[in-house]
Amino acid sequence: MARQVGVKKKSVRENWKIVWRHRWIYLMLVPVVAYYIVFKYVPMYGIVMAFQDYNVFQGVFGSEWVGFEVFDRIFHNSNFWSAVKNTLILNMLTLVVNFPLTIIVSLMLNEIMGMKFKKVAQSILYLPHFVSWVVVAGIATNMFAQRDGTINLMLSAVGIDNIPFLSSNAWWTFTYVLCNVWKEIGWGTIIYLAALTSVDESLYEAAYLDGATKFQRLIYVTLPSIKSVVVTMLILQVSKMMTIGLDAPLLLGNDKVSGVSEVISTYVYRLGIENAKYSDSTAIGLFQSVINIIILVAADRFAKAIGEEGII
Amino acid sequence: MAKTKTLRKKKKVTLGTVLLYGFLTVLVFICLYPFLNVLAYSLSGYNAVLSGKVTFFPIDFNLGAYKEILGKSQMWIAMEVTVIVTLLGTLLGLVLTIFAAYGLSRQTLPGRKMLSGIILFTMYFSGGIIPTFLVVKGLGMYDSLTALYIPQAINVFNFIVMRTFFRQLPESLEEAARIDGATDMGILVKIILPLSIPIIATIGLFYAVQYWNGYFDALLYIQSPDKYTLQLRLRSLLFADELNNAGANAEGVGTQVMTQSLKMACVAVSTLPILVVYPWLQKYFVKGVMLGSVKG
Repeated sequence: MARQVGVKKKSVRENWKIVWRHRWIYLMLVPVVAYYIVFKYVPMYGIVMAFQDYNVFQGVFGSEWVGFEVFDRIFHNSNFWSAVKNTLILNMLTLVVNFPLTIIVSLMLNEIMGMKFKKVAQSILYLPHFVSWVVVAGIATNMFAQRDGTINLMLSAVGIDNIPFLSSNAWWTFTYVLCNVWKEIGWGTIIYLAALTSVDESLYEAAYLDGATKFQRLIYVTLPSIKSVVVTMLILQVSKMMTIGLDAPLLLGNDKVSGVSEVISTYVYRLGIENAKYSDSTAIGLFQSVINIIILVAADRFAKAIGEEGII
Repeated sequence: MAKTKTLRKKKKVTLGTVLLYGFLTVLVFICLYPFLNVLAYSLSGYNAVLSGKVTFFPIDFNLGAYKEILGKSQMWIAMEVTVIVTLLGTLLGLVLTIFAAYGLSRQTLPGRKMLSGIILFTMYFSGGIIPTFLVVKGLGMYDSLTALYIPQAINVFNFIVMRTFFRQLPESLEEAARIDGATDMGILVKIILPLSIPIIATIGLFYAVQYWNGYFDALLYIQSPDKYTLQLRLRSLLFADELNNAGANAEGVGTQVMTQSLKMACVAVSTLPILVVYPWLQKYFVKGVMLGSVKG
């Protein structure tokens, strides 16, 4: 924008010439911008509902303004805080398990020299990413069923008692994390494998000649080379701490475990769509967006402070 | 690369190598097993499922479950709706993403920073479910298939991947065409697109999977059962009767077991199209993900 102004000072005609030269490009961008305005920016205006006592008949323009009353109500609601807590717990556990495991699997795949084995392994590991959550949840409820579920049948064959994978709070959390890891672990390795192939091979040779063992080469050559990718990925994931997909908790969850499976997204959905509490639901969405941006900016600052590339 | 390969190859088969292959084999098996389990259940007979014998292979092999679901008109309608939504959504998504990415990959375009900013900002901040819902409803798209592919037409990640790709193309190609008097539209269609087949395939796959697997938008916007998408239909088949069965098992074990085979047959049928397309596109999408990781 600033540059445009600068050009304008030089000569308005010159400026229009440049714009005119790009007329086809602007024409292509018209539907794109229109899409963003209608489906992304107009809804952003709808956020004012969070400060209104929204009434369907009066709409955004006619509803009464109530200031922070809606927020006040939400912040005093224990269900809301429980949803925030559950979101953070599920995200944190998934991150703690998934993040290191993805790196370990990437490193292992990278060590594999048999190209055929590597290709087949990768193909199969990427596959779950393309399966819908409805299907994953369907398979999981079948496999982890307490009565006659495959997993419990296998466990009972080795003398372990029935485990309530889907109906006890702790076990449900376990199953949730497991399904997430199953679905995304292979997909996550793509980025690390890309970073690993670009590691300078002469470093390995030098280390080898200096008598470094395989393990030492891993610690002193491989890991430092992919450090920046690791940091970037970690920051990206941490900045999504407050965001949780609705599919997995909604589909895997059930009444028995609602104490741990009700997360922000499912809470917003139930409140807004099922109970038509538009103002409350929108206010929670806004709260979530604001927290997201705070975390994102903080993570970005942190990355830059430790000498890594930022993400914004 | 070649050098190190020979360097490492000299090593004998060590315990470490065995463990490495062993661990990865187990992991691959874990990734694959649920699919085998689905097949085993869907192809097994009544009594085998009932007595809890099915784990790896179908027992009392029969195709009854598949015959039954393929005989349901609901399934076919859902399949048809999903194919339509997937095709239109992928097409619209590709066209808009190409327009946006090509336009904003041009370093000379006045206002390009601001326009990119408009797109990227939506990654971090959004109106949320309800305001979006009200806008879509206000446009008269409620209970219409358009609500399933228009409101989510452009995915920002896909835009970034595509823009990164276009930026990497050599500018000399364009300049030559421009001297020959080609317009931007002509350059895009005649020069850029033919060079971009791999990335178009990748992004096309991402959109197609998004629409094929999407279920939340259908849950939000679709009311009439004849417009149910496959995933929504699948959900009601897989989970609706579970709610009913939770309390009472009195209605007869036979039907319940049949539904278990049936459920898994539904899962198999709805996942099959992805499994068919997937191997053909695999070599492309790895590159796509890597392009996306380059900072936008």
